[in-house]
Amino acid sequence: MSDPSPIAGDFLSLLARHQVSSLRAVVSPDAPVQTQATTVFAFHFAEGVLMGGDRRATAGNVIVTDRVDKVLELDATSLLAIAGVPATAFEMARVLETSFEYFRRSQLQSLSLPAKVRALARLLRENLPMTIQGVGVVVPLFAGIDQTVSPPEPQIYFYDPLGAQFQAVGYAASGSGAGTIRSILSFQDRYGQPRPTRMNLQQAVQFALRLLMVASEFDSATGGVNPEAATFATIKVLRGSGVESVSAGQQAEWLKS
Amino acid sequence: MTEEPYRWLEAIGNRREYVREQLKGGSPVFVASLPEGILLLGVGVGHSKVFELFDRHALAGLGHPADIEKIRQAAIDAAHLEGFNRAPEDVSLRRLVGFGLSPQLKTNFEQIFSAPFLLELLLAEVGLEPNQDLIARLHFDGAFQLHTKGVVVAASQPDPETAAQAWLNQTLAEKPDRDEVVEVLLQAWWCLTENKPFTEGLPPEGERRDGWRKAVQGRTVELGWLARKSHRRARYEELHPA
Repeated sequence: MSDPSPIAGDFLSLLARHQVSSLRAVVSPDAPVQTQATTVFAFHFAEGVLMGGDRRATAGNVIVTDRVDKVLELDATSLLAIAGVPATAFEMARVLETSFEYFRRSQLQSLSLPAKVRALARLLRENLPMTIQGVGVVVPLFAGIDQTVSPPEPQIYFYDPLGAQFQAVGYAASGSGAGTIRSILSFQDRYGQPRPTRMNLQQAVQFALRLLMVASEFDSATGGVNPEAATFATIKVLRGSGVESVSAGQQAEWLKS
Repeated sequence: MTEEPYRWLEAIGNRREYVREQLKGGSPVFVASLPEGILLLGVGVGHSKVFELFDRHALAGLGHPADIEKIRQAAIDAAHLEGFNRAPEDVSLRRLVGFGLSPQLKTNFEQIFSAPFLLELLLAEVGLEPNQDLIARLHFDGAFQLHTKGVVVAASQPDPETAAQAWLNQTLAEKPDRDEVVEVLLQAWWCLTENKPFTEGLPPEGERRDGWRKAVQGRTVELGWLARKSHRRARYEELHPA
């Protein structure tokens, strides 16, 4: 029997044709303790969307490292913040990154925002066996640009571990410190001065760093921000024009001011 | 017919003539290694000459659009599979051409009962430093040459291609400015399409400047740029002629 025809521009279908699996969903019952725990979040500010995350990875009560980048640039107009098991989450990011670029290069147009949002949902659904076994749970955030409106607008999406996708109106958070972050964001959105949507970039970055500092007070698995140890957050900004990273040096300067 | 070796040779010869005949009138493409990156230039109708392949790789070609499309797709598939299975840094033009595209083109060319690919290609890989750049000139029969500097031309006929390449490398030897390089490449494009000589009898610069400007009316000057330094992994961008 001949191979099924691949879907034009679909990288997963190309992988299947070459018998390469994108995610390995088989797990041993003796699997070791997984590294996990995180706080990632995204909110709308005056210039677009800010997506941030702490840099700590833990395994049980052990801190594995404080240098993980959990906010990833998938392409020029898409950001992914990963929460959950890094082994699976980083692989999902790699699959998406290659898929989006493969589609853009082969089809000579960018994948639409709804298609990108569903591509991540599809990976989460394919990861269901790992999720059910409790050793490969990934609950990411996604930000992309809606090109169907003028001017193009950045949007935030959040997911449940089974792949359901939801658009966030003002903000979203995921990971073990998400409860604290959501509470502060909700308060700031309702009563704060300025509200997140009115903040300029410097105010938004300061606010993001303080969010992480507070979250780390209540959640040992959240790394927080420690200027003395030169540990800052991963912060990226998505505007209608594309992605920009806020460096540790810039964060340090704005945190002081 | 093919049981007799000399007939096979004759068939291959006829096939080569047929391809060259079909490619006559094809619009030449150019790749230039510059200090800040690699420039790809073609003149066509719509988006049909210059393409991004992978993070540091691009292609420029002339010939039948369907054939260019097949090779483009094959190169993109191979590069993305390699980049995913190993790492994007492992995708190399040398391997892409030497072990992927060239054997495919050669096999196709020698299968005399199937239609040959009607194309001539240039593929480029930008390096961290100019001396790490790689440009491959890939022919319809799978033969290829690798260049590490200067300007490389793909035209439908070998002799004018060689003459244009020699003239361009001499003329552009001391010209690192991208806009200036674009201007000279377009002059060479005009000379090639108008069958002007590149040695004695080369039209004066004024005539060349006016010539290409008139000739591109109703067509699109396609410019691709592989930036040497960038904060993004994908180094390719489309440029718009000034």
